[in-house]
Amino acid sequence: MADPNVMAGGSLNSGSRSGGSKTATSPAENYILARRRTLQVVVSSLLTECGYESAEKAAVESLTEMMQSYITEIGRCAKTYCEHTARSTPTLPDVVLTLVEMGFNVDTLPVYAKRSQRMVITAPPVTNPPVIPKALSAGQKRTHPTHIPSHFPEFPDPHTYIKTPTFREPVCEYQVVREKAASQRRDVERALTRFMAKTGQTESLFKDDVTAFPLIAARPTSIPYLNALLPSELELQSLEETDSSEQDDQTDSDNNHGNVINDDGGADKENSGLPSGGSMPSVKAPEEGIDNPYLRPVKKPKVRRKK
Amino acid sequence: MNRKKDKGFESPRPYKLTHQVVCINNINFQRKSVIGYVELTIFPTVVNLNRIKLNSKQCRIYRVRVNDLEAPFIYNDPTLEVCHHESKQRNLNYFSSAYTAAVSAVDPDAGNGELCIKVPSELWKQGDEMKVLKVYIEFSLDQPKGGLHFVVPDVEGSMAERGAHIFSFGYQNSTRFWFPCVDSYSELCTWKLEFTVDASMVAVSCGDLLETVYTHDMRKKTYHYMLPIPTAAPNISLAVGPFEILVDPYMHEVTHFCLPQLLPLLKHSMGFLHEIFEFYEEILTCRYPYSCFKTVFVDEAYVQVSSYASMSIFSTNLLHSGMIIDQTPMTRRCLAQALAQQFFGCFISRMSWVDEWVLKGISGYIYGLYLKKTFGVNDYRHWIKEELDKIVEYELKMGGVLLHPTFGGGKEKDNPTPHLHFSIKHPHTLSWEYYRMFQCKAHLVMRLIENRISMEFMLQVFNKLLSLASTASSQKYQSHMWSQMLLSNTSFLRAISNVSGKDIGPLIKQWVDQSGVVKFFGSFAFNRKRNVLELEIRQDYTSSGTQKYVGPIKVTVQELDGSFNHTLQIEENSLKHDIPCHSKSRRNKKKKIPLMNGEEVDMDLSAMDADSPLLWIRIDPDMSILRKVEFEQADFMWQYQLRYERDVVAQEESILALEKFPTPASRLALTDILEQEQCFYKVRMQACFCLAKIANSMVSTWTGPPAMKSLFTRMFCCKSCPNIVKTNNFMNFQSYFLQKTMPVAMAQLRDVQNLCPKEVLNFILDLIKYNDNRKNKFSDNYYRAELIDALTNSLTPAISINNEVRTVDNLNQDVRLILEEITRYLNMEKLLPSYRNTITVSCLRAIRTLQKNGHIPSDPSLFKSYAEFGHFVDVRVAALEALVDYTRVDRSSEELQWLLTMVQNDPTHYVRHKILSMLGKNPPFTKAAEANKATESPLCNEALVDQLWKLMNSGTSHDWRLRCDAMNLYYTLFGLTRPSCLPLPELGLVLNLKEKKALLNPTIKPEQPGGASELPTAMAFSVSTMKVEEEHLGMEHAAPIPIPLPSQALKRKLDTPLGSSPEPGQVLQDEPSIKLPSKGRFPTQDEEDIDMETVHDSQAFIYHHLNMLERPSTPGKEPPSVEQSLLSMPSTPMPLFSKESSSSSKHGGGGASEHGHHHHHHHHEHKKKKKKHKHKHKHKHKHDSKEKERDSHAFSNSPASGRSMRSPSLSD
Repeated sequence: MADPNVMAGGSLNSGSRSGGSKTATSPAENYILARRRTLQVVVSSLLTECGYESAEKAAVESLTEMMQSYITEIGRCAKTYCEHTARSTPTLPDVVLTLVEMGFNVDTLPVYAKRSQRMVITAPPVTNPPVIPKALSAGQKRTHPTHIPSHFPEFPDPHTYIKTPTFREPVCEYQVVREKAASQRRDVERALTRFMAKTGQTESLFKDDVTAFPLIAARPTSIPYLNALLPSELELQSLEETDSSEQDDQTDSDNNHGNVINDDGGADKENSGLPSGGSMPSVKAPEEGIDNPYLRPVKKPKVRRKK
Repeated sequence: MNRKKDKGFESPRPYKLTHQVVCINNINFQRKSVIGYVELTIFPTVVNLNRIKLNSKQCRIYRVRVNDLEAPFIYNDPTLEVCHHESKQRNLNYFSSAYTAAVSAVDPDAGNGELCIKVPSELWKQGDEMKVLKVYIEFSLDQPKGGLHFVVPDVEGSMAERGAHIFSFGYQNSTRFWFPCVDSYSELCTWKLEFTVDASMVAVSCGDLLETVYTHDMRKKTYHYMLPIPTAAPNISLAVGPFEILVDPYMHEVTHFCLPQLLPLLKHSMGFLHEIFEFYEEILTCRYPYSCFKTVFVDEAYVQVSSYASMSIFSTNLLHSGMIIDQTPMTRRCLAQALAQQFFGCFISRMSWVDEWVLKGISGYIYGLYLKKTFGVNDYRHWIKEELDKIVEYELKMGGVLLHPTFGGGKEKDNPTPHLHFSIKHPHTLSWEYYRMFQCKAHLVMRLIENRISMEFMLQVFNKLLSLASTASSQKYQSHMWSQMLLSNTSFLRAISNVSGKDIGPLIKQWVDQSGVVKFFGSFAFNRKRNVLELEIRQDYTSSGTQKYVGPIKVTVQELDGSFNHTLQIEENSLKHDIPCHSKSRRNKKKKIPLMNGEEVDMDLSAMDADSPLLWIRIDPDMSILRKVEFEQADFMWQYQLRYERDVVAQEESILALEKFPTPASRLALTDILEQEQCFYKVRMQACFCLAKIANSMVSTWTGPPAMKSLFTRMFCCKSCPNIVKTNNFMNFQSYFLQKTMPVAMAQLRDVQNLCPKEVLNFILDLIKYNDNRKNKFSDNYYRAELIDALTNSLTPAISINNEVRTVDNLNQDVRLILEEITRYLNMEKLLPSYRNTITVSCLRAIRTLQKNGHIPSDPSLFKSYAEFGHFVDVRVAALEALVDYTRVDRSSEELQWLLTMVQNDPTHYVRHKILSMLGKNPPFTKAAEANKATESPLCNEALVDQLWKLMNSGTSHDWRLRCDAMNLYYTLFGLTRPSCLPLPELGLVLNLKEKKALLNPTIKPEQPGGASELPTAMAFSVSTMKVEEEHLGMEHAAPIPIPLPSQALKRKLDTPLGSSPEPGQVLQDEPSIKLPSKGRFPTQDEEDIDMETVHDSQAFIYHHLNMLERPSTPGKEPPSVEQSLLSMPSTPMPLFSKESSSSSKHGGGGASEHGHHHHHHHHEHKKKKKKHKHKHKHKHKHDSKEKERDSHAFSNSPASGRSMRSPSLSD
């Protein structure tokens, strides 16, 4: 009952796997599959040895998994022991120690190996160990320098440590720098103005081709002198770069000319009666001792001023 | 006019003003209106003061009270419309005389005024006791066109947030535009000024701010100012706005005001004002006369600088940040000018208009001293030369500028300036250009006086004048000392002679009492045998604007052995002067040559004439004559002069002369100067342009790279890559200015094909490309603007094949590059505007030049959009200049119309003025060109004549300057006589009145030069023109009446529908025909005999006659409701008045004419009298109101009373 089932299941399985592997025909996968299949055969023969006639596919699969884990663990542990003793290749005592550690009675092993009903299993088909694909080939793989014994692990792939510059070395030649700066600025300006011209109203110097030299349309402003007199942000920036102290002074004053009315207590009371809508004329903070009539507080109306 | 004799000041008024209150209690920014009142405290100086004449223009007057009694008044402004529209006169002579008459008729210096108040009879008695009268006038201004300017930006927010402000302005005495006053510089009084403004605003005015008080609702506050120093009304000003306040950190009594957001600029720009104060106070050894000083910076200013008592109003465009180089000296100059005028002009005022030159002269002179101290002697001498060249050029072109005209009793033959198309009798009839030149000449003459009497004495004189004034100012009115604060020609000269003991009479006679400059031609020969320099100095004193000079002249001769001064006497007939030389020619000796300043230099003498020891000769090196010198000397002498003479004036003269000597030696001399860093930078700049000219003349023999290129490369380009300019660093201003100028000059270079060399163009394009300002402390906006100018300069006319239409495709490759740069720069300005939009200005100029040279299609639309209101004023002016040019080149009537519309409607007065003056400088056509059929312009047509006529006749009544600009333009286009494009008058007989100018301009009709009967006075002329017209009408309708008696005339007027003007042409055709009958009808009339002294009387005629038009006596609309209420008002003080006016209201014009007629008869009666009766008559005329009945009759019949029924100016 079991075998055909297993076979069928196996074939089904392998069919689907192969179907899957058809797309992924990597040699590494084939290698692993071959080993696994051998392991599966080993499990099946052990079951037969124990008297099973059939087994469910899932059970075989679980047992294979357990077997694999066990073997893997032995290998891992043995390697650890060997490395612990500063060697690179595990020896028999390492394996024995491992088995002991895992609670296996080593003495029973020769007996078990020589049991009569054991089945001989063919070696797994020879498949090439998978070639590790070169993920990134960067630079020359470095060999060990002479003071490092050859058994030490190889250097990792160069791509893991090599620095790959993402920019080119800046050119420091003055002429080129100036040239670049100039053309870059010009390009930026041109692009910007073209964009502005495209997105807004334009005037043209030519009637036949209005796109030839587009001029951004002149737009009257309500307070034209502000734009014309106040330094632009760009100029302020450059000023900041060249002379920070002066700039500080300017920003100070900018803050200052908010609405500072310097009044003493009495005047404050008067101001509270003011309509809040109108902005007060800004007054520069009077320095100590300045008596200027324009800085004096506004008086309250007298009881009846003759008009 | 009021020629002041040696006696002190005599007021032309029968009263003296002592104190005036101005109270403006409402300023409405939304409606642009102002409401307020004034109260004048006056002392009558005659018994029975019954009329008070005040000045007031465009104010609507609601009521007048004298000592709390309602007083009737007449408001009449003849300058509103100079000539009446029924007149078809279109010649400028006629207009000019009428205009002068109109201005005279309201001239406060002659005791006249627009507003005539009748003192209530109850107060007459008081006159005997010389009691004080208080004249209280309530007035309002609605959308004033002159005097006060409202700036109300069209943005969201409250008025304060919008930066709305208001300020007073005007040309000369224009205070009458915004409140009733005695608008004379010679009527001083103390002031109390009150301004109630919104709580968010600041009101800045003259005098000390006493206090600021909230109104009861706390929404507004009142600024109380007191000006205790007697001040003339024209020196009163006001500015209201949401100003930011800056107390000067050095002088706490000085306060600066600017518009919101500009405080940082204000701080920077005002940082050195205290230095100017210190300088003036030190040289004048006199403290600043006022207790405080205020500077206000406003938008849309009328002029850059205007000074008023204790405050000055400036254009906000003078403010700049610390990054701006070029504006800094300009702003300082403006401030220095304003401050100089505080002392002379505001504190010390002029006695009359003819004394104006003294004040302008002194303030200009001390301003010059400031320039000398601040900017150095070189700059000062350069400036003096510039000013001298300016005045010389103007006078030679336009005729003389007369500083101190004397008007000899009004005799026409005595007209001091017959060459001018305007009268110089009043400041308000003066062309702006002339006035500027007048100021320029005034300060130059002051400098001449300084040369004569030494600066020390000069300053002593000023100090004396100031101390006198300062003592007087602190006195009470009763001390009669106030007139010490007035300065006149006479008092100034007396002070000079007292202080210095020197007689400067000849100097004054030459330069002040006479107009014109001196034109010298000099040449020389060296007589080897006698070792004598034979100098010949000739003069041209026959062409216009010149005068003959007799007197000393200094000649400096630089010889091998040194520099020697010689003073020669220029006499009537001596042309040749022998000057002995000190040194023998000795070219081989190697010895240093001593210069004028004591310096000794090595010179390469190989260039000079072996036989002559002369290196160079200078005539009048100190500019102590107002002259132009054309001196001939050899090219090598000019070159020596340029290289070794240390005086910048000499260097500049030689640069100018070297233009005529395009030789390698000149080139070398100029290049050396360019490289010499010790040399004054303005000389070096000038050398650039000269070098360009020389290079062009030498184009075929020129070797090496284009002129200045290698020099520029060496000075400003990188060592490693000579095609790239260094990143900008303008720390050294001299080299900054040179760096700016050189490309502009280089662009003037031309190759053999007369094109700008490709090399130069690429060089300039590279400068633009590599311009890098990131590391610079200063803004490069002026530099970049000049680079655009350089591109403009490089343009040459396009080669046009068969007038092909300019398209993008056939664009010249170089032009394409230029256009790329201009487009980019102009567009970048929109995103990052430069200071004062200098780059836009240059770009607009460049585009116009491209158009004019035929590279791109000529099209005004771009300029029109930039000329719109709402752009920065410099940009607008540049665009308008391009439009003016377009109008001329393309003869476009559409654009001319557009410009003229803008002249009428633009909110900015400066722009209006600028349009007209630019049109005058670059006229669409000229009279001269029109005379030639081939150059006749389609623009010159009747419609334009009418339009311009209307503009100057009535369209510009709110702005004296603009009216004179319009007159200038009219003169340029059509000349003095009837424009040629007008159809000939129908009968060929035109008004054949001919006058020579005495008081007024002649009315010469070229069509009818002969047979002119002469009317002696301008007044009489105007009167008789009116009269003739009336009589003609009278004849038509009442022909049988041979002599229209007053009563008949009245009847006639009632019958005649005078409201309708006569048909066009009728007047012209009829006037002469009337002339004879009128003579016939008045056989006794001896026109030659008319008393010239009765100008004042005649002015009364003018006053009424000019008003005959149907026009409102106050400007603005006349709301009928006001009329009604006025009519229904009880007429208590003068019952007759209102009765009469109601009857005359039906026949407004008729009533006026009748009155005129009445006077006219009076006049004729008077004419019969011989001169001995003059005085009597005058008296009678002036005081004909003695009889009360008659007086009231006159009042009721006066034109204004008739008119006033339709205007709200009638108050009772």
